[in-house]
Amino acid sequence: MRKAYIEEQKSRHGRKAVVVLPVHYPREILTAMNVLAVELWGPPGPPRGPEAGRLQTYVCAVVRNALAFIASGGADVADGALFPHTCDSVQGLATLAPDFGGWKKPAFRFIHPKGPLRASSRAFIRAEMVALAQSLATLGVAPPTDDALRDAIRLHREIDALKLRLADRRAYLPVNDADYYRVLRRGEFLWPTDHLNELRDIERKLLDTPAQKGIPIFITGYVPEPMSIFDVVAEAGAYVAGDDYAAVGRRVNSRTELDLSDPWAALVDLYDSASPCPTHSAEQAPRLAHLDAIMQRCGARGVIIHEQKFCEPQLFDVPALRRHFGAHGIPQLYLEGELESDFSGQARTRIEAFIETLSSPRSAA
Amino acid sequence: MITRRIQYEIAGNVVGPFLTSLDKWRKKLRPKKKGPKKEHPFGPPLESVNRLKDIMTRYYFQGRYADGAVPVAWVTSGFPVEIFRPLGFWTVYPENHAAICSVQRVVPELSDVVEKEGYARDLCGYARADIGSVMTGKTPVGRLPKPDLLACCTNICQTVLYWYRALAEHFKIPLVLIDTPYVYGEAPEHHRQYVKDQLLELLEVAQKITGKTIEPEALAEVTRKANIGSKLWGRCLDASKNKPAPWTGFDEFFHMAPIVSLRGSDECNDYYRGLAEELEDRVKRGVGGLKKETHRLMWDNLPIWFNVRGMSDLLAQNGFNFVCTTYTNAWYEAGKVIDERDPMGSAAKAYTHIILNEDLPKRLSLMKRLAREYDVVGAVLHSDRSCKPYSIGQYDLKDRLQAEANIRVMVLEADHADPRAFSAEQADNRLTAFMESFA
Ligand code: SF4
Ligand code: SF4
Repeated sequence: MRKAYIEEQKSRHGRKAVVVLPVHYPREILTAMNVLAVELWGPPGPPRGPEAGRLQTYVCAVVRNALAFIASGGADVADGALFPHTCDSVQGLATLAPDFGGWKKPAFRFIHPKGPLRASSRAFIRAEMVALAQSLATLGVAPPTDDALRDAIRLHREIDALKLRLADRRAYLPVNDADYYRVLRRGEFLWPTDHLNELRDIERKLLDTPAQKGIPIFITGYVPEPMSIFDVVAEAGAYVAGDDYAAVGRRVNSRTELDLSDPWAALVDLYDSASPCPTHSAEQAPRLAHLDAIMQRCGARGVIIHEQKFCEPQLFDVPALRRHFGAHGIPQLYLEGELESDFSGQARTRIEAFIETLSSPRSAA
Repeated sequence: MITRRIQYEIAGNVVGPFLTSLDKWRKKLRPKKKGPKKEHPFGPPLESVNRLKDIMTRYYFQGRYADGAVPVAWVTSGFPVEIFRPLGFWTVYPENHAAICSVQRVVPELSDVVEKEGYARDLCGYARADIGSVMTGKTPVGRLPKPDLLACCTNICQTVLYWYRALAEHFKIPLVLIDTPYVYGEAPEHHRQYVKDQLLELLEVAQKITGKTIEPEALAEVTRKANIGSKLWGRCLDASKNKPAPWTGFDEFFHMAPIVSLRGSDECNDYYRGLAEELEDRVKRGVGGLKKETHRLMWDNLPIWFNVRGMSDLLAQNGFNFVCTTYTNAWYEAGKVIDERDPMGSAAKAYTHIILNEDLPKRLSLMKRLAREYDVVGAVLHSDRSCKPYSIGQYDLKDRLQAEANIRVMVLEADHADPRAFSAEQADNRLTAFMESFA
């Protein structure tokens, strides 16, 4: 399905397509250059092809599966690959596949600075964004004009604003989690205007009275895989009232005021105001405050921490998360996965049991 | 503060040296074991070992009294410490400390504590050991001084940043970061500028914390010393280009402590000058690290600290010697680039171009060069469960090295810190089979 869509985008709109590894990248630049971003979060399930064996089994499944996928031709429809500077493992893949085999087309890297932005890192990320645009131009597309960049920023701001409205009114949306998140995640490969239209379709469904009857829960984690997590949660009598998945909610930027006179500076401002993410090496205190704010807004009664095994950036934050939720008396469940196609019986039972405890009067108090 | 300073000076200049000489006397007075001497495959021990012990014992002993006496910074091994030296910082290297924890086999105990807190066992063993040590106060070195500042550089990995951030939360102190963009091919100008800008920011922070100003001459002087130290260390490593190599790769692992922990000091340079002379003298006299060196190998990645003894015995008994390692070489490659004429600019370059911060083609070409210069017949690539940045790509490196350097290569699955992720029996079997393949 993705392949057909990408081919159509290329032939009908003359777009180039770039496969993008997780997590953060200035998508606005790609949009402004008429380049379709197709994100690669794995894909889930067993590695597609033997090349995952070129990486040790203690490397996360996201990177191992990505190598298997691109090396077996799964991403050949794309014209290039973009590797953001997410973690040591993506960084390793960014040299392994293009330099030692597995990816023969152009490889682009986007190195985002770590830690809170300082004068040095502001100047750096701006230069890095300009350099990314220049290297993408090698695909035969024109570098973005300031106006094109402004338009792209406006478009992505609109998408984010709509996602925030939907998140705020999640309880009033008569759509189950599985369908809702499917639409949100289609943004990983749709052209932004197509994604915006789908989001608008969903927005039209909003009711004036609450439509979600289950127990509101909050999920923080990396990527909602297996997607059946939403079915399991729903079957157990809950719904995801808010999320901080790196792949989904965390990438929605809530900044409203933005000076677009210098669009490159605006992109830096956007980066600066992004939700705290361990892959940016955000400090823990602001991250915890950010999660508290979402939880309060969505009225979640419990939290699921859903991580990928071997994921250093995320896993280093887990003790702080657990301590924090524990200290605030918020019930929590820790889940760790490896991009399985589906949950094991045991994982299902744990989710069900957790949600059951949330429905008891004591934890509801 | 004054009392603490006096304690610190006495610890470093009186008690520390006294304790090390006491230890030597004790050893001398200890009754010699009777009976026939056990045969071993190693050459005569290096005399420098005693000086190494003195230096490191004194370093850790004086460190116990450093907090409250002088500013203390905990730093990563690849951090540009030259900036701290003129300001009088006492620097602690948690990685070096974690290596000691691993040698002493206390990592599982320390890790258990942090695992209960929610740290996954899949995280780097150095980080787990260090955070565990901080949480429990347990350490084989007596006591580590509390830091005033945490200083971390991502040129070895990003793990150090997450690890130091946890320390910053624990100690409630500032963390300074030197973020070094990974080098694919050549580092573009804006990458070098970024690192240089951060070094200037660091300078400001360090000056603010200490209330002192760094005189440019002082910085140039430390840079000069660090450069000399690295070159001296390189001279020691180069000695193994001779046959037989005058020491073993396992020796190198232990003798690298001063270049990591005391880089930029006279003490470090004096030590390596002595060591280089001793090694060169052994070369002249044909004295090897092994009594009989039959096969020369290269080692890649960190050592398996808790099993260095076992492995070195097994290899040495069969005449196999690690004559070069990518790990110990790292402190030579970077340090030789820093230049007193441009301390900041050259540091930006040197600390960005670290083996772990460069792409795989660079790593391959370095390994091929080492293989050629040290004339090795094979290589062992330690696939280190704890260290992803060093381990990713090793299966490909193995194939490429075999084909392009014409040497035999094996990948050994282990861990540098945590014995629970290691099977000695399996490793011995694999190494034995590898050695047999040369028969
Ligand atoms: S899951 Fe974690 S380790 Fe793996 S690619 Fe994503 S951020 Fe990196
Ligand atoms: S052992 Fe590897 S992961 Fe751990 S601190 Fe060192 S370089 Fe980083």
